[in-house]
Amino acid sequence: MGIYNTFITILLLITVSELAFSRPISWSGGSTIMYQSNSMYSSYYYHYSPTYKYSVGAEYINDRHFNDQYVNLKTTYLLNRKNTKASQGNLYLTGGISTKSKDSFFYGVHGDWETRRVFTSFSYINKRTHKKNYTENEFKLGVAPYLGEYNDLHTWVMVKTKKDTIKNNWETYPFVKFFKGDYLLEVGAKNSHWDIHYMFRF
Amino acid sequence: MYKILLSIIILSSNTVLAMDGMHDHGSHNHKDHQAEKYYVDGSKTKITDKMFSTFSAGLSNTQIVIVDVQGMVCDFCARGIEKTFNDDKDVKKVQVNLEKGKVLIAYAMNKKVDLDEIKNIFLSNGQTATGIIVRKV
Repeated sequence: MGIYNTFITILLLITVSELAFSRPISWSGGSTIMYQSNSMYSSYYYHYSPTYKYSVGAEYINDRHFNDQYVNLKTTYLLNRKNTKASQGNLYLTGGISTKSKDSFFYGVHGDWETRRVFTSFSYINKRTHKKNYTENEFKLGVAPYLGEYNDLHTWVMVKTKKDTIKNNWETYPFVKFFKGDYLLEVGAKNSHWDIHYMFRF
Repeated sequence: MYKILLSIIILSSNTVLAMDGMHDHGSHNHKDHQAEKYYVDGSKTKITDKMFSTFSAGLSNTQIVIVDVQGMVCDFCARGIEKTFNDDKDVKKVQVNLEKGKVLIAYAMNKKVDLDEIKNIFLSNGQTATGIIVRKV
């Protein structure tokens, strides 16, 4: 890949895309519980944020594709945050190890940029397991049809496109995101598979 | 893809030192501190009379701190701020306004309001306080 193409790709990643895990770090001292289910796996994830710059947690994975179950010990670090009056942008590093085997681990980068009206995110994760090594790429783009105030129900209409090197094809589908108070729910559907993400913060 | 990942990390590492509110205070010189004081100057921090009267309704003998905040674009962004101030026994009431990017905090009149402490509370929650003023009712 030439320097020009790399530069353009980075710009696209930073400006067009956003975060796959919807705020992977909580406020200082905050905890988060997540449930996620898609065509590949379902997972339960708890993380704690000692500060707003990083989180540590454990994630139970039920891997339907490889018919496997294991626990990931995971950490996420906020590499950069840019606050403006109307927007916030974040860039995160994430990584972890699996309890399945000593040579199972993963690492990646994800980022997001949002205003009250527009949301974009991306993620790139490289996973090394005892069965297969693969990568996952994901992009989200969303628009809020109305601007809710604090404590209102917030709604986002979004599009997700993702690719992993197992299926090796891009999948693009719409989904909706709701959040109110400490709760967030994302629901999408691709063919016969539901894509669900639930999050609770406390 | 490895090159892209590496490039992103390098780019971000270069900019992280310039981020608002995430710098090391130990490395500041005097000029930096002067800039920081100006940084939380509340001279441009204004709210409408309606917003102020709605918030202060029922309050008396109270100091109301009005904070301009950057990066507060969603409920999750502000949730930690609200929880932190609500845990302070001297705080009577907290209100977040996403549209205006402001947080209003009502303190008891006998509380010595420390603007740097308030700014640091926002920083510790990942937000940036750019202006702070105090009004009394």
